[in-house]
This record gives sequence, structure tokens and C-alpha cells, in this order.
Amino acid sequence: MTREEIFTKVVEIVRPFVKNQEALDSVDENTNILQDLKVNSARLVDIILDFEDAFNIEVEDEDADAVNTVGDAVGLIAAKVPS
Amino acid sequence: MSVLPLRTRAALVLQREVGRFSSILWIFPIVFILRVLMRYRVKNVAELRKRHRALMKENDGPVLICANHLTMIDSVILAWALGGSWWYVFHYRRMPWNLPEYNNFASIWLSRLAAWVTKCIPIVRGGAREQVSGVIKRVQHLLSRGDTALIFAEGGRSRTGRVQADSPAHGMGRILNAVEGCKALCVYLRGDRQLTWSTVPARGDTFYVDFEFFQPESLHRGMRRSRDLAQQIVARLARMEEEYFAGRE
Repeated sequence: MTREEIFTKVVEIVRPFVKNQEALDSVDENTNILQDLKVNSARLVDIILDFEDAFNIEVEDEDADAVNTVGDAVGLIAAKVPS
Repeated sequence: MSVLPLRTRAALVLQREVGRFSSILWIFPIVFILRVLMRYRVKNVAELRKRHRALMKENDGPVLICANHLTMIDSVILAWALGGSWWYVFHYRRMPWNLPEYNNFASIWLSRLAAWVTKCIPIVRGGAREQVSGVIKRVQHLLSRGDTALIFAEGGRSRTGRVQADSPAHGMGRILNAVEGCKALCVYLRGDRQLTWSTVPARGDTFYVDFEFFQPESLHRGMRRSRDLAQQIVARLARMEEEYFAGRE
């Protein structure tokens, strides 16, 4: 799976949780999930569990600590998805 | 579970020991405020404390108190209800560490000092992930050393006045997941006049307090396990709340 494919899928998973839909129109890997997209911090856990289901991976709590931006999420998934 | 830097561990030891040696100076005034000035009472307090003490005597390991949350002083009332003043002086590690919202007290240096002495580790709810994670790791470290901590199962005060079973605090599950042998003491606390959430309970209110002690289990791993453990706790509190209201009818 390419990084671009992961990025596209990540944005689709995050979309229902986003409060700032305008920021989603210009989303890139540097977009901060909590601050720019205004996702509720409590919902970040749901998002990461959705990543687990969508990419068939397992995420540890400490891995999730490093997820601030969309790019962080893409990087985390890319490291766990079998090539 | 990751190991904290030496400096952070030393800071926690210092905080605990300063609190321990000054405990007579702050526990009794707090209880005076609760009992005399606010005229709060706890139903069946003697029996409740007897049960709690016996439980703590039987279970020497780490305990995470997981409670519902309706007012800003729930943690104080809860600690007072579960243990008498002298009991905490002589069993100081059973005085729970608390995680108050930083912005609620940070503007005044005296309140920051008071929070530090009284075993508080400030947290910014919904704040930077590094800060929140750092606080959780400190609590994990303290519990792994046999201390007790208190966390509100819904993260913040319930805006509905009832346990919000759909919003468990993930950090709670994360702590239980990481600390080996950690058990949960689910505590349901509610003043008879507490209809919904508020800053403090009404003066003269009488509190119902009940607790259940268990070790949640999960077949999942990783983050999903933490979520599962947190959901079990909050579901149990919701059931305890149903029992409370059933008992009032």
C-alpha cells in the first residue's frame, strides 16, 4: 500500500469526526488533527481504533501518543501495514 | 510500561513526602471545612470505612479509584468518605493521587502549591498529547509502586447528571492496562440534593457512597484493550447508579 493510498484512507476515516470541514478541504500531512481539524481529543481514540480495523493493524497506546498530524497517522500506519 | 526519567521520579517522591509530613496540617482543616462549615454528611460512614479499610488490608497492590463525577470537589469528598483523617495520616499511600484540570487552579500560586502538597498532578483535559501522556505515565509509575490514584471515569463532570456510559476516559483503561495487577475500585458518589452537575454540592447535603472492587479483564490487546477496560468500568458505574436510583424509589 502506498503512502498516498494510506493518506486518502486516513482522511476518509477522520472525516466524520472533523468539526472544521473547511480545514479538511485543504488537508495535507502537516494538518494537526486536534488543532486544525478540531477533532475532539476523546474521539481520537475512536479514530485510531478505526485505523486498526481499516488497515488490520494493532496500535499500542504509546504509539498513539505520537499521532498529532495526519502525516503522523500515515507514518504510524505505514510502519505497521505489511508491505 | 515505560520507565520515567530519574528527575521525574525524584520529583514525585519529593511531592509525596512533603505531603506526608505536612498531612496533619492539611487533612484536618479540609475535614473541618467539609464537616463543620459545609455540614456535609456521608450515609453509613462508619460501615463504609470499615469495608474500605478491610479491603485495602486484604489487597496490598495498586488500586485505581474510578469514580463518577458531578462536582469539582468530588475527589475530596470521596477520599474523606472512604477513610478517616487519622487513617490517612498513618496510611498515606492510600490517600489517592488526583488529576485535577490545570486551568481550574493554575492562576493562583497558592492554589498551585496546595494542589502540589495534596497529591495532585495537574492535567490539561484535551490538551497536548505529550502532556496528557506524561501525566498518565506518572500515575502508572505511582501505582506500580503501590500507591493509590483517583480518576474520574467519564473524564470530566457529567453534563447530564448521570453516568455517561458512552464516554469512558481512555486514560483510565490505559492505566489499568499498563500496571500489572492493578485493581479498580469503582466508587459511586452522589449527594441527595445533587440533581445535576455543579461546582460544589449544596451545603448540608448528605452523600450516598458505594464501591465495588474488581480487576477488569479483556481478551483484546493494545489500545483496544485499554478501551475495553475503560468501558467495563464506566458500565459498572452506570449500573451502580441505577441501583442508587432504584433504592431511592
